[in-house]
Amino acid sequence: MIPRTPRGFRDVLPTEAAWRKTITQAVSTQFGLWGYLPLETPAIELADVIGMASSLGKDSLQAHAAAEAPFRFFDSDSNLVALRPDVTIPVARVAATRLRDEKGPFRFYYAQPVFAERESTYGQEREFTQLGVECIGKGGYVADAEVLCVLFEALQAAGLSTFTVAIGTVGVLNALVRQASDSPEWHDRILQAFHKSDLVGIDLLTKEEGVKPAYGDAIARLARIRGGKEAFGACAELVAPLGCESDLEQLQRTYELVEENTHMGTLMVDFSIVSSFDYYTGLVFKAYAPEVPASLASGGRYDTTMAAFGRNEPAAGFALGLERVLAALEAQGATPPDVGPEQVVSDDDPKLMFAKAAQLRAQGVRVVLGGE
Amino acid sequence: MQKRNLRIAVSKGSLFNDAVELLGQAGLDTTGLANPGRHLIISNPGVDFIIVRPTDAPVFTTYGGADCGICGKDTLVEARLNVMEMVDLKFGYCRFVVAEPADMPGAAEASYEKLGVLRVATKYPRITQSFYEEAGVQVDIIKMHGNIELAPLVGMADRIVDITATGTTLRENNLRVVDEVLASTARFIANPASVRTDSRVRELAAKLEELTRDREVTMS
Repeated sequence: MIPRTPRGFRDVLPTEAAWRKTITQAVSTQFGLWGYLPLETPAIELADVIGMASSLGKDSLQAHAAAEAPFRFFDSDSNLVALRPDVTIPVARVAATRLRDEKGPFRFYYAQPVFAERESTYGQEREFTQLGVECIGKGGYVADAEVLCVLFEALQAAGLSTFTVAIGTVGVLNALVRQASDSPEWHDRILQAFHKSDLVGIDLLTKEEGVKPAYGDAIARLARIRGGKEAFGACAELVAPLGCESDLEQLQRTYELVEENTHMGTLMVDFSIVSSFDYYTGLVFKAYAPEVPASLASGGRYDTTMAAFGRNEPAAGFALGLERVLAALEAQGATPPDVGPEQVVSDDDPKLMFAKAAQLRAQGVRVVLGGE
Repeated sequence: MQKRNLRIAVSKGSLFNDAVELLGQAGLDTTGLANPGRHLIISNPGVDFIIVRPTDAPVFTTYGGADCGICGKDTLVEARLNVMEMVDLKFGYCRFVVAEPADMPGAAEASYEKLGVLRVATKYPRITQSFYEEAGVQVDIIKMHGNIELAPLVGMADRIVDITATGTTLRENNLRVVDEVLASTARFIANPASVRTDSRVRELAAKLEELTRDREVTMS
């Protein structure tokens, strides 16, 4: 056979590897400056552990199976295991198990590859690298703003100058959805339509029989609200008469705090931002660069996930995709880091050659040993 | 920084003429688009129109080949890609239906009774699979690329799942509709990153919404 890597897995050669390392270091340093500590989790988790954090359960796994699912297989103990599809759930597991007796809040960062099983025709990698943070044990708008500011500074540290972070909240949506109809089946369908960004489907669903028109109308219009600070006014007008404004106020405070404390990139409100992960409970956000067709980063608040592992605490975090950040950097004209010149050291006497080289290395010079 | 032209994927085929007209009404320079000849990209000031097969419009939009596009709901459901479905453009109405030979009533049921599985020919395997899953019926799907009507006529399948606007082709081939799967119209779709980073996409969506809001649904 011709030796090759499996589809969607690839080798990274030195120029790119050095670039990836530089970005990872710069971003990790920024995470560290915010008080986040490094954490590593295993590449493989028990499939049941991954499933514990999903409120949609098995049906949704099947529904997503066509496009994307965790990479699963049986190990030699006959356990069904999964290559980690993200790092949020493993970090939640660590906090709830090994750190059970420690008092939070915890601030962790990670830089690890994650895996997704994807159909061959989707033209996407099955292994990619996530750099992210999780802030566990702190709720409220200040913690939300902290996580967002870390994201802004991480993207900036990576070298990006042009990017947009769109924020929304599932709280307002959930409140409206609950009040619009008593049918759990309808709740599922409308949330699915939001997950799929199907604004037309949302319109149709809100006009169905049995849906309270005032709430239905508000949901349909909510999906189309996006913009700067003024978007809050439009949204408040919409939801205040219906008594669903509590989460909105929190989002607005978050927005103001982030806007005051960031100096690069664009912050916008977008109520159609609902991540494909179903564990978010409040703030949700995604970062985009104009040159890259998919999100650079995504995250949000997941206050009920920790409880699924037996530690009932609020949490929020995000992950940015190293490959996509790199694609955006390249498109914005950045070039790989210069690894600096190297000096060849030769001597007929190997002892002397090693000694010379050691001297130069001590001065920080990259040396290559000469000779045959 | 001078922004590159906005890129719009336009499906050729039955939706094309209505799409071109609507894009013109929305204020875009559609010069040369109505009769592109062999050109695949029509570049006008501020906008590039990319002429694609209908099934490829969501593909271009997802992978960043286009910022936005126009295609049928049917292709969106089948493609299951990550695009935002922004506006119902109300033209290009058609239905997904299940059909069988008109002169063989009961034959499909009898075959299902005997084999415990229904043989269904279609261009849309995903839509077909999910329709029958919800109905709790086992199906063997035969994927075809055109003239689906042939399959039951030559005994290759019990039924077909296909698109019809008026039902003429089905009738001409002596097929009758036995079930409705879903209705479809043309949609304005957009890449999620473009919606958030490019105000031209948001403005075009708003304009199209305004233009089509009070229209009646039509066939193309």
